[in-house]
Amino acid sequence: MAQTVLEFREVVKRFGTVAAVDQVSFVIQSGEIFTLLGPSGCGKTTTLRLVAGLEEPDDGEILVNGIPVAAPRRNVFVAPDKRQMGMVFQSYAIWPHLNVFENVAFPLRVRRESAPAIKERVRNALETVGLAGLDDRGATALSGGQQQRVALARALVYAPSILLLDEPLSNLDAKLREQMRFEIRALQKKLQLTLLYVTHDQTEAMTLSDRIAVVNRGRFEQVGTPVEVYEKAATPFVAEFLGRTVLLEGSIISNHSGCWFELPNGAGRLLLEGQQWAGGLSARLFVRPEDIEILPFGEPSQHEVSATIEEVAYLGDRFEYSVRAGGKHFMVSAAKKNRYPAGSEVRLRFDPVRLNPRPVDHP
Amino acid sequence: MSYDLTAASSPRLRLRVRPFRIAEAFMILMFGVAMGLPLLFLLIGSFNLAPPGREAVYGIGNWARAFSDPGTVSALWMSFLIAVVRLIPAMILSVVVAWLIARTDMPGRNAFEFLCWFAYFVPDFPLVLAWILILDPNFGLLNTAVAFLPFVEGPLFNPYSFSGIIWVHTSVSGIWFKVMLLTPVFRRLGASLEEAARVAGANSFTTFWRVTLPVLSPMIIAIAALSFIRGLESFNTELLLGLPAGIYVYATRIYDYTRQEPPAFGEATALGSVFLVVLIVLAFFYHRYLQGNRKFTVVTGQGYSTAPLKLGRWRYVALGGCLLYFTVMMLLPLAFLVIGSFMRRYGFFGIKSPFTLAHWQNMLADPIFFVSLKNSLIIATLTALAGIVLYSLSAYLIVSKRSRAAQLIDLLCWVPWVVPGILMSLGLLWIFLATPLRTFLYGSVWGIALAMTIKDSPVSTQAFKAAFLQLGPELEEAARVTGASWWYTYRRILLPLLAPMVATVGLLNFGSALTSISTPVLLYSAQSRPLSILLMEYSFTGELERAAALGLLITIIISIMMVLGRRLGLQLTQS
Repeated sequence: MAQTVLEFREVVKRFGTVAAVDQVSFVIQSGEIFTLLGPSGCGKTTTLRLVAGLEEPDDGEILVNGIPVAAPRRNVFVAPDKRQMGMVFQSYAIWPHLNVFENVAFPLRVRRESAPAIKERVRNALETVGLAGLDDRGATALSGGQQQRVALARALVYAPSILLLDEPLSNLDAKLREQMRFEIRALQKKLQLTLLYVTHDQTEAMTLSDRIAVVNRGRFEQVGTPVEVYEKAATPFVAEFLGRTVLLEGSIISNHSGCWFELPNGAGRLLLEGQQWAGGLSARLFVRPEDIEILPFGEPSQHEVSATIEEVAYLGDRFEYSVRAGGKHFMVSAAKKNRYPAGSEVRLRFDPVRLNPRPVDHP
Repeated sequence: MSYDLTAASSPRLRLRVRPFRIAEAFMILMFGVAMGLPLLFLLIGSFNLAPPGREAVYGIGNWARAFSDPGTVSALWMSFLIAVVRLIPAMILSVVVAWLIARTDMPGRNAFEFLCWFAYFVPDFPLVLAWILILDPNFGLLNTAVAFLPFVEGPLFNPYSFSGIIWVHTSVSGIWFKVMLLTPVFRRLGASLEEAARVAGANSFTTFWRVTLPVLSPMIIAIAALSFIRGLESFNTELLLGLPAGIYVYATRIYDYTRQEPPAFGEATALGSVFLVVLIVLAFFYHRYLQGNRKFTVVTGQGYSTAPLKLGRWRYVALGGCLLYFTVMMLLPLAFLVIGSFMRRYGFFGIKSPFTLAHWQNMLADPIFFVSLKNSLIIATLTALAGIVLYSLSAYLIVSKRSRAAQLIDLLCWVPWVVPGILMSLGLLWIFLATPLRTFLYGSVWGIALAMTIKDSPVSTQAFKAAFLQLGPELEEAARVTGASWWYTYRRILLPLLAPMVATVGLLNFGSALTSISTPVLLYSAQSRPLSILLMEYSFTGELERAAALGLLITIIISIMMVLGRRLGLQLTQS
């Protein structure tokens, strides 16, 4: 039975005149992985630090398990050491003067647990993250991946209500990053953890999260499952940030056979299957390049427009074409089986279910 | 073997003059001669039974005499004792203050950092005088004041004592420099190490005690060791406060030997040599310690380092404590210096018209004052200029990886940190007296300027090193690629970019040349007497009021220069 673990109510955090977190509200249920995804400086780390108590909000309320931990209007602020959070820092923040065991034992020692209990729980935590037997190792003698695991064990050892992860994988190399990603996911499932995860890497967010919040300039642009935010981007920013997009400008035509999106310069028109639009609207169409297929020259069907290949780049596993259609240039990649030379005329086939036009007047 | 001149002039085998290599060779020579030779002469001189300048007679008589004197061992012991005892309160206080400045939300913390910086430049000798004005058993104002209290009989405070020396040290050199060194250390520590502890459930005190302090302990111990070695060469305070009480440290002992009639240079040199050996051993262990702790210092954690620790109500307590310390330790003596310089007879408020300008007038009417002022300015200017040229070059050689001698130069430039000013001067004195340099350097402003320049090497080189490291090699390489020669690049690219640091180092060296006593005290003559020595002479002849006036004057000159220098430095950085 899922219950609310964390709630933000119109939280504001300013640095000088800039609102790093701007009236943000959201809710995290127990046992879910909630990811804050956005470019650097968008306020996602500040949001995380607000949860941990490392920053004080200027307005709004933060509730953990229904209890306010920060509410400036009511003069409530719970210090970070009283919040029972687990946090993994981007730099891991492994204390260099303590060995692995003592690093992980620290949270238990400040809680004055008994020595046998500490030993038992540290052992368990180290085993969980796959570091059994490294107790006496100096913390600085560890590799990046091992430090990461120590930081994780330290955050887990006292069963925190929420585990906060601040770009935990960004300092690892690509292969290790992939491995750790799946380990974190497995760990979360096994221990039924609630995770608040901060990253700027969309692949990481996609593969790891139950829900993603796309953050821009201190605001949540969209909150949803990975599929929702990718397939049904609520704003141009979300579409742009979650991978490459092709932007086509044109107008909507409505006639007896249905609604159509028409490209300028006679490039053709695309059928908007099952959609109802008023005719004559100017509109934009956001399409992902992987939803566009290049076909040899011919008469365009209702899901196709004509285009010209301008340049070809060989990328080893595929070709990348710079194409021109309806007065726009964009990049489309295609498999190696066909090669269209620069200057050749082609057709572009658009995946009909992905055609979501946006009237220009109501962006 | 004959040398083929035609081959040398042919294009292929032409001997190319490379400024870089010349600079390198020059620096090694200069450091070797300037740092090493005085110490070598010191060691040799300690076995020379004849006075300097006469034909040498070798033997161990000096050593025997120096160590048959019980005063020698007690002076060595006293040097260590004072250096250790004064270090303990100063280190604790400076760690706390540096932490408050760098890590907390104490109000006015940046302003207080500036105050520490200012206090560091206030010359020590006038401050010692000021404490005499406050604490002297006969006329000290504090003793006069407490005499009115019940149950107090006789003077309560006595500066001419061990505890008096420690107290004055805490005021004069106490925490200021250590705070300046420690604050950046605390700033560099990645905030996430502390934040991790906070999130893990530790309160701010536990975090400071269990994480911040242990992580920084290698750096703190290193700075303590550095201060300890520095403290061993202390001279001024012990000269003014120790001699009346019969408390000798080895530096005042050496000074005493050279003042005997006839001067006992031999014994002085033997004592100096022993101390040198002790210092070299200490420096060696210090170096070993630093090497062994490399792994600690590189772990700083990165990124996100905002959010100073919130002290709550305690932040006003903290600020109050800091300001109280500054007031008692710095403002109070300075105020007494002012009062003292304007009193007809210090401490006698009851007499008719107790305040007067006479001491200032007398001082400014004294022809010796003007000669000394001129000497001081010449020495300080020479020292500042020579320091800039020499140590920007040495730092460049150390930083640029091309020099094979970089490590040697790096090591040599630290030598004067370990070797006390009075020992350096004693060694130089032997050279000046025993070589043809005598006519030019002995008792002249040039000799003093040379000694001061050598003494400035560690701090100047470190400052320039830091500046060069910050610049990075690309700027220089870009200039070289566009076709500029090394020397042209150095003049037109590197030096201008270093302008703020040049100004800072110049001012620092100018200031230290103006105030140092222990370095010129063995080298000056009547013609080359600098202001600082004149100040010492005034205090010895009991003209405390005039000494206060002169001390104040020097303090004012230094303060104005430092404040202007900071402005200039900031401007140059921003332009």
